[in-house]
Amino acid sequence: MFVDARGEPCPYPMKQVMEAMDRLPEGEELEVLVDHPPAVDMIRLLATRRGFLMETEPAGSAEWRIRLRRPEGREVKP
Amino acid sequence: MATPPARPGISLGRLTVHPQTAAGLLVLLAAAALIMASSRRDPEFGVFATVGLGFGIVLQRSRFCFNAAFRDLFQFRSGRTMKGVIVGMAVATPGFGLHMFNLLPNPSLGPVAPEAHATPISLALVLGGLLFGTGMVIAGGCVSGSIYRMGEGYLTSWVSFGGILGGLLVAARTWNWWWEHFIREAPVLWLPRSLGYGGAVTLTLAGLGAVYLLVLWIESRGGGGLQEAVSPDAAVAFAPKVRGLARAVFRQGWPAAAGGTAAGLLNLLSYEAHMPWRVVGELSRWSIGGATLVGLAPGPLRGTEDLAACTLRAGGGVLTHGLLLNAGLFLGSLLAALLAHEFKLRIPRKRVRYIQALGGGLLMGYGGGIALGCTVGAFFSAIPSLALNGWVFALALAAGAYIGLRVIERIP
Repeated sequence: MFVDARGEPCPYPMKQVMEAMDRLPEGEELEVLVDHPPAVDMIRLLATRRGFLMETEPAGSAEWRIRLRRPEGREVKP
Repeated sequence: MATPPARPGISLGRLTVHPQTAAGLLVLLAAAALIMASSRRDPEFGVFATVGLGFGIVLQRSRFCFNAAFRDLFQFRSGRTMKGVIVGMAVATPGFGLHMFNLLPNPSLGPVAPEAHATPISLALVLGGLLFGTGMVIAGGCVSGSIYRMGEGYLTSWVSFGGILGGLLVAARTWNWWWEHFIREAPVLWLPRSLGYGGAVTLTLAGLGAVYLLVLWIESRGGGGLQEAVSPDAAVAFAPKVRGLARAVFRQGWPAAAGGTAAGLLNLLSYEAHMPWRVVGELSRWSIGGATLVGLAPGPLRGTEDLAACTLRAGGGVLTHGLLLNAGLFLGSLLAALLAHEFKLRIPRKRVRYIQALGGGLLMGYGGGIALGCTVGAFFSAIPSLALNGWVFALALAAGAYIGLRVIERIP
């Protein structure tokens, strides 16, 4: 799944990622593009709480690419 | 992992400077010019230009957004920003108490300490807080938040700013009605009057401590709070240590408590120099001034000359303490965003976001106008002023933020 939340004001980037996490099919990766700096930390919090693994990398000027996936073989609390 | 994108840069011989760093250095020159020019006019103005720039840097670096502080408690059960806000007020409170003691040694006589943000507790304060809280969530930022996001390049924040100016004008045109019916007879409950400074500071700090515990409880119910990254300082050699420090200050976001502490100290410095941190009182001057030029002047604003804090204002010179605070806030945020390479012109694709920004801005302008302040003047500067109106406004803001969240949940 892919969420492009660039340009969106607060709190839409976090809201869209939270909803996508809930809908993400088993075994799939969620890729997110954001340009809202506070979203990176807040998505980290949401990922930690839901047991997702998260990788963040810069994706151009003031943009970040975030990859979220569930660890294999582990039950994830909704 | 994908290959990182090529790093843009401006080459100066062997040195490559990121374009945002280069632009940041130009803004730094503009900031220095603002401080020097205002200091020449009046040394106190120089202090206010510096404090304003400081607020801009602190808010941008620590993502110190009052809207997120309230909204995230409900939406994500995250207290990250609210804890920073509470720390900021706790840092300012004893200093405000001491400064007010110096200004007015005996607080039991009746008058409130000069420039303290103690205002009448009326229906206008409660309704203004509700409207403001709802508006800031719909718009995606309060007034100070919109100004610092304007510096970061958010187009919708500029639209919100226009809405705020419009809302303030409507508030000014209806001010006399609010004044006659609710504000004029309403009580000003300034705690040192009955508790003394020591008692009022103690009670305020105890109240802030209790709210901090409430925030921790909300976080624990949500599954824990954010572990804020502190830059690892494993290097032993001096040069890498300095680079690590520069990176922590200029590139990485600051922990909310660090931002709160800095904002609390800047607020104290502001009051020591003249008045606590304010935003919307000055904006109302711009709004009313603009309206006067096109023949929409609201007429005399009854009772405002006797009210403190961010009362609606008309007239006055161009250069004021408030103008320097607001201009500094914008410029400081722009500077910090450029040096962090976080500046970007952010243009939402959905048209509804612009309507949200304008509508939320109008609600904030109107609410802030009748409540005599925004999240800064009526809350962040009012609670350390040992004034009960700050707590009443905070409750109304929280309720408004909850309503605003219900509204934006319906806007995809």
